[in-house]
Parts: sequence; C-alpha cells; structure tokens
Amino acid sequence: MLRYIIRRILWSIALLVICSAVVFTIFYVLPTADPAKLRAGKAASPEQIELIRESLGLDDPKYQQFLRYMAGVFTPYKNEEKGVDGPFDLGTSIFQNNKPVREVIFDRLPATVFLVTGAVVIWLAMAIPVGIISAVKRRSLLDRTTMITSLAFISAPVFWLGLVALYLFAQDVGQFPIFPGIGSYNDAESFTGRAESLILPWLVLAAATAAIYARYLRSQLIDVMSEDYIRTARAKGLSEQRVIWRHGVRSAITPIVTLLGLDIGVLLAGNAILTESVFNIPGIGKETVTAIGQSDLPLIQGIVLFGAFFIVILNLIVDILYAYLDPRVRYQ
Amino acid sequence: MRLKWVKLLVPVGALLALALGLSSCGDDNGGDESTATSAVPKEFAPVTAAPDGVKTGGELKVLSAGDIDFMDPGGAYYLPTFQITLAAQRTLLSWGPKDIEKPIPDLAEAEPEISDDGQTLEFKIRDGVRFGPPVNREVTAADVKYAIERADLPGVANAYGQLYLSDIVGYSAARKEAADNPTGGAPDIPGITTPDDRTLRIEIKQPPKIAIAQVISQALSLPISAPVPEEYAKEFDAKNPSTYGQFVVFTGPYMVQNDCVDDSGKVVNEDCSGELTGYTPGKEIKLVRNPNWDPDTDWRPAYLDSIDIQEGFTDTASASRKILGGEDEVSGDFPPPKNVLKEAAQDSEPGQLQLPELPGYRHISMRTDKPPFDDINVRKAVIANSDREALRNTRGGPLIGTVATHYISPGFPGFEEAGGLKGPDLDFIANPNGNPELAAQYMKKAGFKSGKCEGSDCEITMVGDNIPPGKDTAEVFKSQLEDLGFKVDFRPVDHAIMYTRFCSVPAQEPEVCPNVGVAPDFRDSQVLLAPSFSGASINPQNNTNWPMLDVPEINKAIDQARLIADPDERAKAWAHVDELVSEQAPAVPWVWENFPIIQSTDVAGVVNLFNASWDLSFTSLK
Repeated sequence: MLRYIIRRILWSIALLVICSAVVFTIFYVLPTADPAKLRAGKAASPEQIELIRESLGLDDPKYQQFLRYMAGVFTPYKNEEKGVDGPFDLGTSIFQNNKPVREVIFDRLPATVFLVTGAVVIWLAMAIPVGIISAVKRRSLLDRTTMITSLAFISAPVFWLGLVALYLFAQDVGQFPIFPGIGSYNDAESFTGRAESLILPWLVLAAATAAIYARYLRSQLIDVMSEDYIRTARAKGLSEQRVIWRHGVRSAITPIVTLLGLDIGVLLAGNAILTESVFNIPGIGKETVTAIGQSDLPLIQGIVLFGAFFIVILNLIVDILYAYLDPRVRYQ
Repeated sequence: MRLKWVKLLVPVGALLALALGLSSCGDDNGGDESTATSAVPKEFAPVTAAPDGVKTGGELKVLSAGDIDFMDPGGAYYLPTFQITLAAQRTLLSWGPKDIEKPIPDLAEAEPEISDDGQTLEFKIRDGVRFGPPVNREVTAADVKYAIERADLPGVANAYGQLYLSDIVGYSAARKEAADNPTGGAPDIPGITTPDDRTLRIEIKQPPKIAIAQVISQALSLPISAPVPEEYAKEFDAKNPSTYGQFVVFTGPYMVQNDCVDDSGKVVNEDCSGELTGYTPGKEIKLVRNPNWDPDTDWRPAYLDSIDIQEGFTDTASASRKILGGEDEVSGDFPPPKNVLKEAAQDSEPGQLQLPELPGYRHISMRTDKPPFDDINVRKAVIANSDREALRNTRGGPLIGTVATHYISPGFPGFEEAGGLKGPDLDFIANPNGNPELAAQYMKKAGFKSGKCEGSDCEITMVGDNIPPGKDTAEVFKSQLEDLGFKVDFRPVDHAIMYTRFCSVPAQEPEVCPNVGVAPDFRDSQVLLAPSFSGASINPQNNTNWPMLDVPEINKAIDQARLIADPDERAKAWAHVDELVSEQAPAVPWVWENFPIIQSTDVAGVVNLFNASWDLSFTSLK
C-alpha cells in the first residue's frame, strides 16, 4: 500500500505540471486580452505598455516564463535574490493590488470550503436515505415520487434554483423572508452568522447533487441486492435491516465514495462559481471568473494549479478509502 | 418599497413621452438640491446637496459588481475608484458634488497662481492637513512632488501622467530614468520644486503656456496629486510592481481601515505597519473615519461614520432589488439592468432612482483609412441610415440617456456652441430614427448606383462585446448595416480582448468597432476630441483614435484650440473642431449616457456629477 501511495504522489506531481503547462498555453500563448495593456490603462503610451510588460516578465520567451513560474512553485523556501517567495510561490496578481496569488487564494478558500462542506453534509444526508429507501421499496409510490423529484432537481440549472430560492426565501426580497439573502455572507461577523447566511446556498448547491447521488445509490443498491451473497445472507437468517446495511449498502456505496471525492475536489477548485455568484459568496469560483475577465494570468494559473492539486489529492484519499471499504480491493 | 418581481410591461413609447414631455418643461439647476439637465426627467434629477436637518453617523453599504483598479492613488484611473479617492484622498484640486465646470481647491488652499506668461504654476498647500496613521504628520509640498514623481515608475503604472504632464520641465527625462531603473526610486522632475514646505511650483516648457498650465492644473485634480510621504513609501516603491497599494496612507475624511485603527477609526495600535486590513480585492473595502482629519480644513462634511463597499454582486438584478427594498444601501459601479430600471422608474419612492449624466459618449467607429469607409459619402450614408434610438434602446431606452448628435457632451465647454442637443446642421445626423432615403442618396454619391453597398469592399468585419448590452448594440447596428447592403462578419469577443487585441491595435482593428466610447478625465473638450480624432493620437498600440482620422485641417484646429486660454474662446474653438469632425462623419455618436444610480429609502444620497456616482463625503442616512 505504501508503494502505491508513493507512486500515486509522484504521478500527481507530474499531472500538476502538465495541468500548469496546459493552462499556461491557453492563457499565455493563445490570444487573450493583453494584461499589460489592461494594467497600463486607456491612455498609456506604447513605451509605457512595454515597460509594464517588462516589469511583469511578459516579454520573456514563453518557455522561460513557464520555467520561472514552475521554479517558484517548487522552491520550498524564500529566495529574495531570485525574487522567489517560497514555499509555493504562485506569483503576484497583476490586478489584485499586487497581492501574492497565494494570499488571494487563501483569502478566498475559507468561503468555498465552508460552502462545499455544508453542501456535502446536506446532500449526503438527503441522498443516502432517499437512495436506500427508493431501492428497497422499488416501484412504490414513494420511489416514483422521489425519483421524479430528483430528476427535476437534476434538470434545473443551479443558478436558476438560486434565483428562485432568493425570490422565495430571502429576507430582503423574498416572498417568505426566512433566510438571509444575497451578500449576507459578507455581512456576517461570526461563525454562526456565516452558517446562517449559507443555508440557502447550501440547499441550492446540494439539491442537484443529492438528486444525482440518490439515483445513483438506488441503482447501485438494486444491482447489489440481487447478488448471490445477499441471498446467502438472507438464507443464513440475518435480519433484512442487517442484510441491507452490512452487506448491501456497504458494497453499493463504494462508487459513491469515488464520486464524492471527485465532486468535492471539483467544487473546491472553483466549480461552485454559479452558487457563489448568485449569492455573492467571495470564494474561489468567483475569483476565477474575475481573474479570467481581467486576464490576470498569474492568478488564473495559480487557481488552476491549486484546484488541480485539490482534485488530485482528494482522488488519492478516495482511492485509499476504497481499499478500506471494499476488502476485495487491494493495491500493489 | 418592495418591488414586484413580475415584469411590468411599460411601453417604451410611454417612457419616451414621459421623458421628452418632462424634459421640455425641465430646466437646468432646479433649485439648490437637485441639478436637472435638459434631458433628464426632473423626478430623477441628481441631488447634489445634503438635505436640511441632515443626520450624522451610521454605516452606509455600497454594493458593487467589480473591484477598483488600484488602491494606489498613483495608479488609480477608473471612475469607481474615484468614488473612493474623492472621499479618502485630498488632491490639490478636487470635485465637489456640483462642480462640473472646473475643480475646486482641496489640498491647495486656493486655485493655482499662473504666471502671466504661463511659465509657472504655483500651489500653496493648505495648513493643517495631516496624513492618517501610521504617518500622522502634516502634509507638505514635498509629499505632492513625490506623489507626481513616483507615478513615473513602471511599478506604479500611472496611465495619464505622460498625457497631461509631459510639458513640465524635465518630465520626459525623468520618465526615461524611471524606465531605465524601475527600482531605483522615484526620479526627480526638475520642473517641480518646493521652495518651502507649503509651496509647490511647476515650470512648464512649451510656449504659449497659459492653456497648458490650465490643463495641467485640471489634471492635478486626479489622484496623481494625492500626497505620498516619501520616507514611508520608498521601501514599497523600491519593488516592481510597487506594493504601496497595500499600505496606502490617506488624507481625506475617510481612510481604508488598516492595522492601526479599529472599525470606528480610533487608533488602537501605535506600533502598526499601515497595512490595509479593510481592503480585500474583489470582496470588500471598508472606509472608516480618518482620526487625523480636521473638518476645519475641508469642505467635505463627512456625515457617515463608516462605509462598507461590498464587491462581487455580479447578479445586478438581485443586487438592485436588494438596494431598492433594503436599508442603508446604495449602488456602486453598476446601473440597474433594463427590467429593474423600468420597475424602479415606476415603483420606487422619489429620489431612489437618480440619473446623473455620465461624462462622455458612446459611438460606433468606422475606419476612415480602409475601404469602403475611406469614402466620406459611405460614412455619411451609414450615419444617415442609423436608427440611434434603436441603439439606445439596447441599453434601456430614454432613461439611459439622450441620443447624441455630435462629439461634445452636455455640460462640456463648447457643447452649446456646437449645436447643443440638436447638434450641427448636417442632414445625415438630423434624424435619430435614421433616414434610409438619404442614406441611399449618399451611397449613390459614393458610386453605388443601387443605393446600397455592393462589391467585395462591402464585406466587412466588426468586433464587439460578447455579452449584453454591448452585444445587443452590435447586433442592432449589424442589421442596420446589412439593410444598407453590407455583409457583416460580426465577431463577439470579451470586452477586454475587444479593446486590447483588436480595436486599440490599428494593425488588427476591424472596419467597425461598435462598442467604443469616450470617458473624459475632466471637463475640458480637449479630452473629448483630441484623443479620438487627432492624427497625432494614432498609436500602434493602445490607440484611441479608433476611426484613424487624420485630417490636416482638423489636426491644425485641435493644435490651435489646445493653446487657447480664454474660456469662451476655448469653448468656441473646440466647438469648431467638433463641427469639422462631424462633417467628416468618422463615427456614429449614439448616446450621451445617464448612469442610473439607486439608493435605499433611508439614505439621503448626494450625487457627485464629476463621476456620476454617490458622493460618500456628502451622503448620509435619514
């Protein structure tokens, strides 16, 4: 197992370098807005634009810019002579008041983590019971109702759900003012205040994902419950509840674990953008869109690298958990 | 007042009738409290003075969609940023809510003394103005000198210094020195001297100099003249880019909260670094009272205790409804979208929606150096054919502004002389709804016998915005061009790409750029006309003369107008330039825009007409 983990970590590093190279090519090599001109402003002279381009290091050959960036990321210490603010120097944002990219990301991360964590708890709390009950009481009225409802939530775009939620339940503009509305996360000063401000965003973000998980778990459990060992367990006289939970769910839930790891990684990497935008939550997703709009290349690069790191690490954790959950799985 | 979610179907014609009917009754400067322009309905006229019995205290929330450009006053060059610098920085001259003709003394105790030959410009720095913590000391002339000089550093990236200040003795050499040694400290500009702590003297090199001095004086109303203490800032300016933006010190009634002060602006940490804790880019800017501000030295009343600028409200419809139905909130850098604007115009309480004029105008440029638009008759045909009211409707209709008829905006010197709202006496601009018959006549004069464009030259490219409302405007104009026989390849791209890769780069610029406009830096028609229509403005990079107009007669008229000092003669001269440009038909001027701003019912907002936004130093809570 240890060798497997080490091998995975090494592959992860290689994957992160490849991700960085792809993003670099997309934003630095292919045509985008010119960050030097954007920073220079509308009245700047060509000489001034070139000066700014030089000060940002954008006039160096592309491969040099990339290597310099990678050197900063992988230098584990501060090197003032070379202008490296390690460890993990992701460069300086062109527009965010010249702040280090690392600082910008870590400033945004708590909001995204809070949003995603709460949403995960809610969607698992909803999806698992619904999926199990639907599978066990297959073709019942309850099963059909939950599956149709889940299909509706899967079909509804998350930004639409968010706007409808605000229209119905936001304290400032809603028809039934129950929950804090848009921008309330920024107003909150305590942990509980922030949690309260995230209730609607959690529900919105969880809705579609819970529906997908419920349907998936139902499908997996139906397949597992028709396996021979389940019949054997029943034949041995085990209670139905024990058969379902100890034997059925345990097998059926392992793909859910994989899915969960991917989903959490992707959301932490910025995929909660629509929810963050609708509710004005200052997270990684919103920051990514702003950075792309401004052609803030170091920030884009940094966020993508950071997001890829999360996805890769979470995948590794999920695969390790898989081995513990499913005794049939062994890594060499 | 809670707004109905359901869209109210308000006929645009009814709104137009309302706007035009009221505008024919309205007059300028309706009383002390509101400033009604001739094109804005009086009930939406911006309020430019605080009400009687104004209350002090409280916190105002400003909801914004985006971020400022730079907190560093040396780099700040964006209207939403100016909302903060007007409240937190004291520049030599500044703009009070009603000041639209010229700036008024702020850090300077009086208007500058200009010598009879225009060779020197001298400011006296006001006594008693102090920096906020951690610097704390009194501002001197040397601080303003340093502020101007450091703006030359590539790491500060000031975009307009060279444009307006290059006539100062030694300026160009100083810029070169800064370019050669970007981390070697701010270069000395020998033409800026400080004979004593309170005197700032500027020497100008180009004769005749009075007009130049006046323009420099106006330019020093921009944040470049906000004082910067050298002993504090030089360590930050030694980096490239400068990190002073994270440690800015302030001189106005408000300051961005830093590690020296608490939420109320009280100093709680004497041993502080000055690092801004109240600014998280893209998220929030917290303004608190500057503990060192002396109201006796300032014309700003500063009623509020604090201002919380919350950024990131990209869903402007929800944000607008939140403001209109909420408390203590005003809009920042976004206008309400079209549907919410209509609701606000109909349902909101008096004063919640105000429509200050946004200086400048929007136009659609045609490349005068490329076929088919190198033929003046084709350009006249395009303008004649343009339904400019339809273009205006893409942004919200009559409430959003007045159909433009020429290139000097209302309120600018020379506007009336250039024809005012009606515009010049030119047949191709006379009909705001377009005149296809006249357009056909001009096309025939251009050699197109059918009255429509024919041939390969009529296959043109247009690069515009990829999101509404810019995209809508481009699509409408495209269809108008196609009615005239053009085959238009419209390429929608991101706004930043449109400017930096296409429209501002002559080598890449297409035949038509539909989403360009002019946003002047101060109220002088030179800044409206010279960058956009002077041959000298054509640049291989960052070009602002999008039509690529280079007519010797116009260039000469611009050069002459620049040097006229007498205000009335100067206005006439720029009106003459406007007339010459209009006759060349290089672009379709289509709107002099209003910038709708909104406030909650419990806010007594005061508008600053300079940047068409709420003036944070004059606004209060009811």
